[in-house]
Amino acid sequence: MIISRRGAPVGAGGGTPDAAPPGPADRTRRDLARGLRACALAALAPALAAFRPAHPRPGTGFDVTHGGRRIRGVRTSGSGAFEDGRWHVTVDGRPLHLMRRADGTWLSMVDHYCSYPTPLEAARAAVDVLGPGVRLRAAQAADRHEGGMHDVRA
Amino acid sequence: MTYVRKDAATLTGTEKRRFVNALLEVKRRGEYDEFVRMHIAYNAADGERGLRAAHMTPSFLPWHRRLLLDLENALRRVDSSVTIPYWDWTRDRTTTSAPWTADLMGGNGRRSDRQVTTGPFAHREGNWPIRVGVTDEGFLTRDLGRRSDPIDLPTKSDLDWALKDPAYDVSPWDSTVARGFRNKLEGWGPGRGRASWRNHNRVHRWVGGAMLGAAAVNDPVFWLHHAFVDLQWHRWQRRHRRAAYLPAAPPARDDAQHGRVVARHEKLPPWDVTPGELEDVGRIYRYA
Repeated sequence: MIISRRGAPVGAGGGTPDAAPPGPADRTRRDLARGLRACALAALAPALAAFRPAHPRPGTGFDVTHGGRRIRGVRTSGSGAFEDGRWHVTVDGRPLHLMRRADGTWLSMVDHYCSYPTPLEAARAAVDVLGPGVRLRAAQAADRHEGGMHDVRA
Repeated sequence: MTYVRKDAATLTGTEKRRFVNALLEVKRRGEYDEFVRMHIAYNAADGERGLRAAHMTPSFLPWHRRLLLDLENALRRVDSSVTIPYWDWTRDRTTTSAPWTADLMGGNGRRSDRQVTTGPFAHREGNWPIRVGVTDEGFLTRDLGRRSDPIDLPTKSDLDWALKDPAYDVSPWDSTVARGFRNKLEGWGPGRGRASWRNHNRVHRWVGGAMLGAAAVNDPVFWLHHAFVDLQWHRWQRRHRRAAYLPAAPPARDDAQHGRVVARHEKLPPWDVTPGELEDVGRIYRYA
């Protein structure tokens, strides 16, 4: 990935002159490095994932241990623009509801204000912010009022 | 009569006490958890089918404005002197400044399990059980500034970058738009790196814990944060007097966003109100 001096991936802002937010002078190189690590080192994730033995058939599912938690994801087939696949992801056996952004990235009910390139990265990020011993609720709260689906279609 | 929403850093001791007591009473009555449920339920993202009312959508601002009004009404039924204060995170930027004091929001979560142990919402006080959420923690959690990998709150120039955009929102009206006040304020960037969480989103991340998830309403600072976001809409309107909420009309049938966003004069679920009707609330409240 080519990084501009401001830290935004080059070309990431859609090309308009003010597409990137200002880079205040008080933000240091260290902040920049942290920021890039954070939401998404994830940019490298698809490439790295291909080398993980725990990722048997790329794109069809995963079963990994991360931070002492078992993360499993199963992709099933679908049809139509929003249904070329659907993911059912669990953390220690409890369902983790994932949502998909229009740019193709993923977010979860646990880490809801940031998105990641793959369902697995979104699930890892959710695990990273779960407190020790904390589990997902068996039923992740209320019914959905929008969209009307409980599984996310990819 | 119009009431005034004040900067949390300027509240008197009495104002803070009455706001906190009203929150605790709304919680005790069971009304508060309905707000948590509603925010969780409205979690639709823009890569999925269906209408988006609350996030990644033009109605992000009116939806949260109306949510705040509903909470404020519940608070004012308890104590008519109470209004929702706002947290100016461009000024109060440390983990010990307003509103993180023991007489208002309480402080950071402890390191071991991120449990908030100070202030009126600390678990041991017994008044703020977490019953509705995405995880099974029974207590309020925070990780201010993200201790394991620190980040900063958005700055005044970050906000100004959003405020100077003359368009309220632009097609395709989602989290991918690089122009438009709404998404620059909501804070969805191109999906990776620090650019992917700006302004509003970045503040949720900075507070961490409950505020990071769909059940963010469990942390009462949600309201102080969103009151400040709401104030930005008002500031943007003053700066761009001839601009208005967009889209003005629903996207056409052949538009991929048809049926997925709320136009200016369409009903904003779950309420019987339109974004247009929520653009000017000057008769209800103003900001000090």
